[in-house]
Amino acid sequence: MIAFWILALLMIASAVFTVTAQKPVYSVVGLLANFLTLAATYLMLQAEFLAVIQIVVYSGAILILFVFVIALLSSGVRPFDVGPDKARMVLVPAIVLALLALLGIALTTIRSAVAVRPESALGGVTGESGSFGSVASFGAALFTTNLLPFEITAFILMVAVIGVVLIAGDEGPAGLPRRKKRRAIEREPIVKPPVTLSTSKGAQ
Amino acid sequence: MTVAPENYVALSAVLFFIGVVGVIARRNPLIMLMSIELLFNAANLALVTYARAWANNAGHIFAFLVITVAAAEAAIGLAIVAVTFRRSPHVDVDEVAALKG
Amino acid sequence: MLLYLIWLLPLLGAVLLWAFGPQLKSWAGPIGSALVGVSFIATLTAWGDATSATGTHAPLVTWLTGWSLGLQLDKLSLVWSLVITGVGFLIHVYSIGYMDGDRAFARFFAYMNFFVFAMLTLVLSDNFIGLLVGWGLVGLASYFLIGFWFERPSAVAAARKAFVMNVVGDVGIMLAIFYVVAKVGSIAYGDVFGHAATAFSGHELFFVCLGLFIGCAAKSAQVPLHTWLPDAMEGPTPVSALIHAATMVTAGVYLVARCSPLWSASPDAQELVGVIGGLTALAGAVLGCAQWDIKRILAYSTMSQIGYMIMGVGVGAYDAGVFHFLTHAFFKAQLFLGSGIIIHALANEQDVRRMGGLRTRMPFAFVAMLVGVLAICGIPGLSGYFSKDAVVYGALETGHPYLYAVGVLTAGITAYYMFRLLFLTFFGKYRGDVDPSDLGIRHPELAGTATGDDAHHAEEEERHHAPSWLMSVPVGILIVPTILAGFLHVGPWQQFFAGFFARGPEPATTPAIPELASTLLLLVVVAIGIGIAYVRYATGPALLDAVARIRTETIRMPAVLVNAYYFDAAYDALLVRPARALGRWFVRVVDPHVLDAGVREVAISAQWLGHLFRSFQTGLVRVYALSIVVGVVCFVAYYAFAFGGVR
Repeated sequence: MIAFWILALLMIASAVFTVTAQKPVYSVVGLLANFLTLAATYLMLQAEFLAVIQIVVYSGAILILFVFVIALLSSGVRPFDVGPDKARMVLVPAIVLALLALLGIALTTIRSAVAVRPESALGGVTGESGSFGSVASFGAALFTTNLLPFEITAFILMVAVIGVVLIAGDEGPAGLPRRKKRRAIEREPIVKPPVTLSTSKGAQ
Repeated sequence: MTVAPENYVALSAVLFFIGVVGVIARRNPLIMLMSIELLFNAANLALVTYARAWANNAGHIFAFLVITVAAAEAAIGLAIVAVTFRRSPHVDVDEVAALKG
Repeated sequence: MLLYLIWLLPLLGAVLLWAFGPQLKSWAGPIGSALVGVSFIATLTAWGDATSATGTHAPLVTWLTGWSLGLQLDKLSLVWSLVITGVGFLIHVYSIGYMDGDRAFARFFAYMNFFVFAMLTLVLSDNFIGLLVGWGLVGLASYFLIGFWFERPSAVAAARKAFVMNVVGDVGIMLAIFYVVAKVGSIAYGDVFGHAATAFSGHELFFVCLGLFIGCAAKSAQVPLHTWLPDAMEGPTPVSALIHAATMVTAGVYLVARCSPLWSASPDAQELVGVIGGLTALAGAVLGCAQWDIKRILAYSTMSQIGYMIMGVGVGAYDAGVFHFLTHAFFKAQLFLGSGIIIHALANEQDVRRMGGLRTRMPFAFVAMLVGVLAICGIPGLSGYFSKDAVVYGALETGHPYLYAVGVLTAGITAYYMFRLLFLTFFGKYRGDVDPSDLGIRHPELAGTATGDDAHHAEEEERHHAPSWLMSVPVGILIVPTILAGFLHVGPWQQFFAGFFARGPEPATTPAIPELASTLLLLVVVAIGIGIAYVRYATGPALLDAVARIRTETIRMPAVLVNAYYFDAAYDALLVRPARALGRWFVRVVDPHVLDAGVREVAISAQWLGHLFRSFQTGLVRVYALSIVVGVVCFVAYYAFAFGGVR
């Protein structure tokens, strides 16, 4: 019980820190903290495999990707120079709407309790092979019932990789240009001035 | 489970809307993307909660797929950000307002 | 079969000449005339069938029950058809000579053929709808032909005036016909007349007859819808002869005669028609004394004579009225065509004041006009005598002594002004070379004097010679029936129409004077009229002093007569000006501020709406994200309210 509240508090704090930090690197760190606490929460919910995946994939890969891009944009440590806020008016409505929605959700969850299945429904004790949330049960479900989504996800990842390469890639080894060069005709002036001979007929 | 699922769901909602405010209120595109990751995670939390409540693996599977897709989306989003703001000293989403009309 | 031929040949002519006029050029005249001539021969051929008890029928279209259109040729329509096609044929031939050299020669004959077709539609229909169609079409043909020389603004104005006044009449007749058809459920004459007494109450019948008569008044130029007829003289003289003397203006008479069952069942309506007819006869005659344009004199005489016809059929003397129509067609056409010869020869001079002494120069025209004038005055032995006598005595027989008196008086006045015309035109010295102001003419171009209508006579030179045979032969032919047609009345006329017309209740009183005495009275009055005219215009001193006398008469003419009882001025003030003002108001106020504004406001609001939506397109990602969030919140709210137990 207490563990839940501590973790909850940490998650919210880190989320707020992520959103409000001035420097992006600070945000990344905040996000990392959020992910770690989330993984811990997963463990509390007996989703061990998912907790590990959360750490490995999310914190380990995606956040590193963020860090790399921050570095690429070459102003990671200092706060970016930001121009005037052109959409000042969105902040207050956003907060108001968020609070309203939260209110609605809160009321809904308070009124309707979720039916919880007892411990005995979970196959086996936590930690045993084949128990709820273990690698074995997860794998079994993934590769039998949910095989099609798995394959499609693979496809999505491939598309993502190709897309990233196309969007942000540099000139490849074959010398394919990344930018369209202006056509030759656009680079040259259209009308060449007439060539005049320095010696003319009547210059005697 | 000793803690009732409603608590987890409330926590998920709070995280979700922190992420929403983050997307709207910040002008740095990287931080916007990070807020979007927060949204994903909030949803994942809700999924896992209900998986545990109903002793159903499908929630885990779904959360796993969400993580995968979020990775792909983050990659592409970052690529776009990188390309868009390659040359400009300001990294401000408000500058990209070519659709104004 | 024959009926179709009679009816459609002129239409064929009209279409042919309309379509191929420029190619046909001068062949248009003979073609048009020939088609009408064949129609006439066909009508003659159909005489036998037509005079049978039921007449011939030729169905056209059967639509609903009680709504079948067809043609019929019975005694009444036979008389009219013979006049239309016969006199029409003669006038067509005449026109070949009269309109020779006109730029729109073929168009003229196309219109004339179209008119003949339209008039035949009117008289040959066996139902009210066909009548109405013909009614409208003759109005249209009249418009075409009055405004034939459309480069003249006065002609265009006259055509428009005629058409508009006819439309006023059309409204009346249409309402009456619609009511009749609605009540009886059928458009055929037979059905309607069979139910005449039973289907309508007395009041209804009166109003139906009133509506019909409004149409008649407009078409036949009865008071108060008569003002278009004098102006209609803007059209070429053959047009005046055919349409505004012999045929179209008698359509009203035809209608009353045809609907005799309706009229005989409504004595009030008969009274009305008789009174209007008598009034018009008198008014027209008086105005005829004040005119100086030869065609206008004849126009007013037409109005007056039709007043006689209307009076005749109005009081119930149907065969007398129809007989007067027959004789009038002959001698009025005669008069108009004769005057056309004069006008043509004098290079479009129409003012009587500038004529004179043409007896020696144009003897043929003199004879023609003399015969016509004698006929119209009712000189014994000529046709007009018999018919006028019949009409006037018919009024007395049916119990209308006041109308009788009006008729007799009008006969005297008619004699006066017709002989005035004769004397001024043919006797004395020729006044064509006298200065117009000496004659009292202040505005030569308005008084019908020659305006040098270049469009019409561009290629022709002045000539005082005899008319071409094309013009003189028809006039010559017309002399015969002008003289002889009267004798029909002595013989078979009354038997011809015996039992044809529905008779109203016989009047209780016998006529005050016997027929012979009435005839003598008429002769005396006519002689007095001729005598007055002689004294004023034809005695030795009068002829010598002609110029001065004419000037005096012109200057001293009462304004009431000059302005035609101020009818035109009244219509102008009451109707024309307000209508024009209304039009101007529409242009100034309604058009820019209501109609244009409406359209403009629609455009502006579309623009405003666009602006409104444009404000959403900020181009800022965060704003778009916010809109997504709004949607999300809506979803949450929906679920909260629907399933979450939130109230």
